[in-house]
Amino acid sequence: MTLPSSSGDDNNLTAPGPGVRQGDPGSATGAALGGGTATAATTTATTVGGGTLTQPRIPAQVAERGEGADGTEAAEPVGLGTSPIRADALAKAMGTFPYAADLWAEGLLWGAVARSPYAHARILSIDYGPALAIPGVYAVVTAADLRLGPTGQPDGAPSGPIVQDRPVFAADVVRHFGEPVAAVAADHPDTARLAAAAITVAYEPLEPLTDPEAAFTAPPIHPDGNLFRHQPVRFGDPEVVGDVVVEGLYKVGRQDPAPIGAEAGLAVPRPDGGVELHVASTDPHGDRDRAAHCLGLEPDRVRLVVSGVPGATADREDVGFQVALGLLAIRTGHPVKMALTREESFLTHPHRHPALLRYRHHADAEGRLLKVEAQLLLDGGAYAEVSSEALAAAAAMAAGPYVVPHVFVDAWAVRTNNPPAGRMRGEGSLQTCFAYESQLDRLAAALDLDRLEIRRRNAMSTGDLLPTGQAVTCPAPVSELLDALAAEPLPPLPVDQPDDEWLLPGGPGGAGDPAAVRRGIGYAVGMVHILGAEGADEVSTASVRVSGSQASVMCTAVDTGTGFSTLARQIVQDVLGITDVYIAPVDTDQPPAGPSARGRQTWVSGGAVERAALMVRHQLLQPLAMQFGMSPELLTISDGKITSYDGVLGMPVLQALEGKDLWATAQCRPHPTEPLDSETGQGDAFVGLAFCAMRAVVDVDVELGTVRVVELAVAQDVGRALNPEQIEARIEAGATQGLGLALMEDLVSEGGRISNASFTRYRLPTSLDAPAIRVVALLEERDVVAPFGAKAVGAAPATVAPAAVAAAVRAATGRQVNRLPIPAEDVAL
Amino acid sequence: MLPASLDEAVTALAASPAAVPVAGGTDLMGAVNAGLLRPMALIGLGRINELRGWQYQDGTAQLGAGLTHARMGRPDFAALMPALAEAARSAGPPQVRNAGTLGGNIVTADPAGDTLPVLAALEATVTLVGPEGGREVPVSHLLTGLDPMRGGELLGYVRVPLLHAPQVFLKATGRTGPSRAVASVALVLDPGRRAVRCAVGAVAPVPLRPLEAEQWVSGCIDWDGDRAIDPAAAAAFGEYVAAACVPEPQPAGLPDSQPDGMEGGPAAAAARLRRTVSVLARRALGRALK
Repeated sequence: MTLPSSSGDDNNLTAPGPGVRQGDPGSATGAALGGGTATAATTTATTVGGGTLTQPRIPAQVAERGEGADGTEAAEPVGLGTSPIRADALAKAMGTFPYAADLWAEGLLWGAVARSPYAHARILSIDYGPALAIPGVYAVVTAADLRLGPTGQPDGAPSGPIVQDRPVFAADVVRHFGEPVAAVAADHPDTARLAAAAITVAYEPLEPLTDPEAAFTAPPIHPDGNLFRHQPVRFGDPEVVGDVVVEGLYKVGRQDPAPIGAEAGLAVPRPDGGVELHVASTDPHGDRDRAAHCLGLEPDRVRLVVSGVPGATADREDVGFQVALGLLAIRTGHPVKMALTREESFLTHPHRHPALLRYRHHADAEGRLLKVEAQLLLDGGAYAEVSSEALAAAAAMAAGPYVVPHVFVDAWAVRTNNPPAGRMRGEGSLQTCFAYESQLDRLAAALDLDRLEIRRRNAMSTGDLLPTGQAVTCPAPVSELLDALAAEPLPPLPVDQPDDEWLLPGGPGGAGDPAAVRRGIGYAVGMVHILGAEGADEVSTASVRVSGSQASVMCTAVDTGTGFSTLARQIVQDVLGITDVYIAPVDTDQPPAGPSARGRQTWVSGGAVERAALMVRHQLLQPLAMQFGMSPELLTISDGKITSYDGVLGMPVLQALEGKDLWATAQCRPHPTEPLDSETGQGDAFVGLAFCAMRAVVDVDVELGTVRVVELAVAQDVGRALNPEQIEARIEAGATQGLGLALMEDLVSEGGRISNASFTRYRLPTSLDAPAIRVVALLEERDVVAPFGAKAVGAAPATVAPAAVAAAVRAATGRQVNRLPIPAEDVAL
Repeated sequence: MLPASLDEAVTALAASPAAVPVAGGTDLMGAVNAGLLRPMALIGLGRINELRGWQYQDGTAQLGAGLTHARMGRPDFAALMPALAEAARSAGPPQVRNAGTLGGNIVTADPAGDTLPVLAALEATVTLVGPEGGREVPVSHLLTGLDPMRGGELLGYVRVPLLHAPQVFLKATGRTGPSRAVASVALVLDPGRRAVRCAVGAVAPVPLRPLEAEQWVSGCIDWDGDRAIDPAAAAAFGEYVAAACVPEPQPAGLPDSQPDGMEGGPAAAAARLRRTVSVLARRALGRALK
């Protein structure tokens, strides 16, 4: 935090940055004006409650800057391995950070979407006359206003990340409850909603297909058929039979990401006929390309500016929302704002794939796994989205982090009339983790083995083969994670406490009865893959600029709460020794960094930022090295000062810069992967793997079937802890989300109709439900091919937590726990 | 419109019958914000101080309809009407309890409304005030629609008997934090009449009273002694209450016909609900007689 006095930079003493800087995502300039030039003349966008610009920076940092004149002893370390606080933490904690829902532009109109009340129906006619007749309504758009299909007829401009099958507006058939049919722009949000309700759509209801098992035989509900993908995995000898065989059927429900901020956005028409979208996208370039495709525009004429993201665990918005917004703006020539209601939000954004999993594990008498047979069925919902990607993860990870010589998997992802599923922390691997860990518990019971011991006997380590034939080349410290958990003391039993101080299942003052409460302990270990799989081109581009005493980072990796912007700051601080690092806001005029999902940004964007910073460093040191007569490698930069290896020669960075601007742009592209073979499932499909082990301690009221998780102890393989506090926060978030799926979160589809699309009915864990989450070990065994040797941390705890909680409930009750979320009838005795 | 007295509010409602009265607004404003309800006008009841307090009146307590859940959860209230206080404390997160009112809970008549089974068990009455003056209606008559609110009427007061005996409210939910009840049971002892009164909430559109079970269990209690009860009798009471309040699960073949504990479906859920109500009733009785 300190700079030597010779830097002479007054800014550091007098100008602590505001809570939200000019140009940051969410600030007035960053969110709405952006490039500025292309914005329509009538529209000056600003934010409601612009008081954010005067918020002080985190006080601790201000104080340190004030007394930073006396040398190089920095009071607070900077760079990798430390835990700086997020730059926007104060504004977010105080509620002054403006999200997309807070944006405003002069003369804006309000959008609303008309949605299907049926899960499956044919559209006979759409009459939007009554809506247009309402005073204040500017435009109504339907599938007919989008790019026409190949036959010259409107087809709703289907698009998608992998398969282009999801229309913006349903053209002939609606395939899920809440699917957009038309959109309205009006001068008031209520008018817009009234008008959307006034659109008369004649439907012919069709039989909804909601049971994924029936999808194979049911008549196709889409021209592409009901099967998204079938992925077999054939590894080893199918004839092998073990001494002990256990079988199980497992079911995982539909979890919703339930972001705290519902979808909202602002579209501003551009004079060139294009549009500028201010939305909370997690994949700006992908969304921009899909939006341009649907609107029939060149991608360059659509600019997407990422406003602050109010909650995302991978995918966030559906393209239907963004395109509808853009289309209304283009059609009316006015800026259009749209904010979805909580119910709409539940209906449209991607959910976790519900799954049905049938397993048969063979083991020898010592408990070593011989063969795993599995049939996996993922319900992908009405449109393809990323189901085939989730399916590949499910199929390849079906046996878990264990050495299994013979593995036979058949995995299917199918189309149903349920809401579409997409990416959510650990897509594919979460569902199988619950199943294979449950199977290991059964095997331990059948062999009368300790549950940790059976896992240790089969644990995978570096060099072992996945069932896909891929060798695990990254660190795979599965045994070490289990050992760390085993060494951890259990939380105390509430025996000496008075009963009323014991937080029982059911909550304080609730129906819990200490006499009926049993405690259970469960273990689980699991793995997720990092980065896109199967030949996806994972690449990110970043630029670093040094000017004066400030460094800037331009990278379009969206920080969805993962802490990437903090990490980018740390990387630059580490490489360039400059403490004042500015992270530029994200828009699609810059080169792409790819989606913020699958734990990829730390790797690809972190790697790109590091490379660009190293290039700048080289430019900075090269002339100086010449001058000193030594190679640049012998110079170090710290605290704004360049010093030679022996400490004799030195020069402040500012002086070395000589008033120049240094720029560098770099890309990071990990080693390529290949698709899984469609017959055998063999192939080097994954870039890296991350592992996590968890111990859950639960209290179960066995009469009422209520469960409270007392503690989750987590041991995780992180490669290298770049920001330990942020990692702990990510682990807490992931584990809590996993706990929610294990015990309460389920979006209920009744014949395709979602019946609990509200926070009253869709139960999320509250602070009373979230247990003490203790990180007992962050194993730092560096992955040599990953930038910094670091692994993604967000998905692994979410993947393992449901299995651990289920195992603990199983231990407390002695019952088979085969369904997630665990229903009360599966818990009570 | 923000009337300052009940009379003003009644007059205001008579003047604009399409206006919707709003007290805490925890349900109503949610519906308005979601676009489900578009009232022509609102009559805010929050300024009517006479409705925000409570007082004694001939052995009963007269509660203003504007009492918030937070107020009802306080110890002075809990000392006199413990079950109502319990229900108010469990009704939701603090923000909701600070705004939501007793009257709103009754008028909204959500099946899972937490105070409703308590009022049913206490045999509370409500005072409905209209242009022609007030009238007293038993709360159960109001909820079942036997004697519904008429146009132009406002819910003014709730009269609750003070029984000076243990009362219990128990609620089963799907999570540890505040949540909608899956089922709830309110149980009050009335030593004066040597009666146990019980109501089950959230399992039907209105709170249900298992009258036969109440009568039976009243006879099992030694009212003059230490009011103890045989645990077996308490368990039987639970079963009795559950059988009276939750319909017989539809027979769906063999109970465990599905493999691997995959039993499910409506039959299992109904059986589970019965068991939950039975456990709640048993525990409630046990706590009341402790």
